Amino acid sequence: MLLYIGPTLFGFLMGFILGTRIKNNPESKINFPISSYLVVVLVALFMAWQIGPFPYYTDLPLASGFLAAIIGIVAGKIIFGR
Amino acid sequence: MSTILKIFVFPASLLIMCLGILTILGGHITPGGGFQGGAMIAGGFIFCAVVYGLKENPLNFSHSFMAAMESIGALTYIFIGLAGLVFSGFFLYNLGVDLNNLVPAFIQNIFDYPDPIHAGIIPYLNLMVGLKVLVGLSAVVIAFMQFNHVRENDDSDQDA
Repeated sequence: MLLYIGPTLFGFLMGFILGTRIKNNPESKINFPISSYLVVVLVALFMAWQIGPFPYYTDLPLASGFLAAIIGIVAGKIIFGR
Repeated sequence: MSTILKIFVFPASLLIMCLGILTILGGHITPGGGFQGGAMIAGGFIFCAVVYGLKENPLNFSHSFMAAMESIGALTYIFIGLAGLVFSGFFLYNLGVDLNNLVPAFIQNIFDYPDPIHAGIIPYLNLMVGLKVLVGLSAVVIAFMQFNHVRENDDSDQDA
């Protein structure tokens, strides 16, 4: 199994940039705790598996760019999005 | 907006954004690319902005963030083009692929995109276009929503 660096790295970077912009608004009645992000990651894992090795890659049986993007979003939220 | 929408839309917009990123990443070999993926990411943001409004939106695209992303996208695109001009004599020459054998191997390795297709600078250009488009379309919607807010305030002042 060989993981291609390009889609993984740049998917993570784009997701990270977007994740840094997620901020919980204290004035809002709707807040998203850590558990909601866990659910989103699980759904994203299922979606990546359903999408398959996109686009025409054979490294993993799932869309590695999609998975890297959601990991990047969560990482960006945890590190900067407070 | 209803509470059900407010609970559903933010997680859904995260997944839409991931699909947009995937579209950008596959732009050099599949339908899609920077504009389409950027529009999908902006669609995720707009989804949130419409449901939560600008004040309560969990995705906070500030003016400085949008200015930085727009500038990074445009400048990196130009610099990649200028690198082609400097090393090969042609603006936006694909240094990573080097079909005409104009550049040394180490320059080709620098601009090579690390995946099995080896598309050179095309995926990088897609990424930069994606950044510009996601910010541009989001900025249009933010501006429209702020205009609407100002107009509503003016109307309420006139009524009073």
